[in-house]
Amino acid sequence: MLSIKITLFAVSGVSSFIIFYMGIVNFLTSIEETTGMILLIFSVFVATGTLLATVNISKNITNPIENLAQGMREFSHTNKSSKRNPINTNVTEIFQLNEDFEMMEQKVEKTIEITNDYVNKLKEMDRKKIEFSSMVSHELKTPLVPILGYVQMLQKDNFLGKLNDKQLDAVNEIYSATVKLQRLVGDILTTQKLDLGKLDFEKQKTNVLDILNSILKEFQPIAEERKILLEMNFNQSIEIVTDKDRISQVFSNLIKNSIDFVPKEIGVITIGAKDKGDEVEFLVRDNGSGMSKENQKEIFKKFYQIDASTSRKRSGSGLGLAICKGIVEGLGGKIWVESKENVQTTFFFTIPKK
Amino acid sequence: MTKTKNTTEEQKLKILIIDDNEQITKMLTTFLELNDHECTVANDGSEGLKRIKENNHDVILLDLAMPEFDGYSVIKDLEENNLLKEHKIIVFTASTITKDELDGLVKRGVSAYILKPIDIDVLHSKLKEIAQS
Repeated sequence: MLSIKITLFAVSGVSSFIIFYMGIVNFLTSIEETTGMILLIFSVFVATGTLLATVNISKNITNPIENLAQGMREFSHTNKSSKRNPINTNVTEIFQLNEDFEMMEQKVEKTIEITNDYVNKLKEMDRKKIEFSSMVSHELKTPLVPILGYVQMLQKDNFLGKLNDKQLDAVNEIYSATVKLQRLVGDILTTQKLDLGKLDFEKQKTNVLDILNSILKEFQPIAEERKILLEMNFNQSIEIVTDKDRISQVFSNLIKNSIDFVPKEIGVITIGAKDKGDEVEFLVRDNGSGMSKENQKEIFKKFYQIDASTSRKRSGSGLGLAICKGIVEGLGGKIWVESKENVQTTFFFTIPKK
Repeated sequence: MTKTKNTTEEQKLKILIIDDNEQITKMLTTFLELNDHECTVANDGSEGLKRIKENNHDVILLDLAMPEFDGYSVIKDLEENNLLKEHKIIVFTASTITKDELDGLVKRGVSAYILKPIDIDVLHSKLKEIAQS
């Protein structure tokens, strides 16, 4: 980097010295003493003049620029105009530059102030939103307590009396609707915890094969009921340290989605896993209707439902995949989907082994 | 679903229910009395604490979220008086409290917790477990 000040003083110093030196040489070698003396005096004048001019330039140009630069530097760090040395200059351009900079400082400060105001308001709104939904889901859970309690008592012969078949049917319907509502409230609470970074993970040593087997066992009856083939494409023992229950939750959300999308009677859902060194890659594949490229990007967002015509068939909250993403990322992995419309769709997610 | 009522096998318990929601206390009382237990209800924390100190109950069902004097305050008061471990307390919660916090309560001396909405089968088995311990 080149400093104007140093360059200026170096150039003027060297040239003053040369002029002075030439004056002396001229005086010593000159035959006519008077001419030599005049030249020497002249050279002294020129050298002094050069130095004075340099000092003047430095005072009026380089010093103000240095001060201005320091002011800018401080401003860019703190975003606040600081008290700096006053700019003394008689150079119009530099005077103007300083004025413009001061005006810009004020404007930037004002803008930052307004922006901070907005940011604070947004933070406050977000906090209120979380508080509100936490309150709502809490309030929703409370009336569920007596509903579920009485329904469970009605389902048993020995509490509130034996119901006839039609009554029992009705009570069973109420029970399954209540459980759905309960699950929805639970999903909302889980999403909130994910938003707040408060979801707990309990990691422990477990085996991938055990996880998949228990998933298969859990969903086999539902698949059979819907005449869907649920198969496992995996038979390897892999040790993993992770939260088994949360992984089961991801699988369960993905399989429930698949069950809704595969054609009845010829539907096939495959679950599996692959050893990828430091991590395990899990998959859930189905031969359902699949989704477009645009949908593939969006489906992990909260409350996203694939277009209205398909969503009418579905009863989900739109939170399932957002929860999957939150859990997988919370465990240090990634989740994504690959889909060929009307051929097959595969959800993949990776989980680190440790 | 098919459980035969067998009072000779099951212990008859004196249970104190502390919850501000009357529908919940009524449902719990119905269920517990049908199981031949004896119930007392307290509708807020301070009344609950008074009843606990009467020392007249086998098991206490305590709701954590209550207005003003809540379940945490009850637990804190008992803890300060060294009474927490002398009572068998099952806490209920519907709030966003984390599992770690609940486990923390158990470490401090609470016998068990049940997440709302209460599954009466779970409540039944917890009561049995705690009464026998």
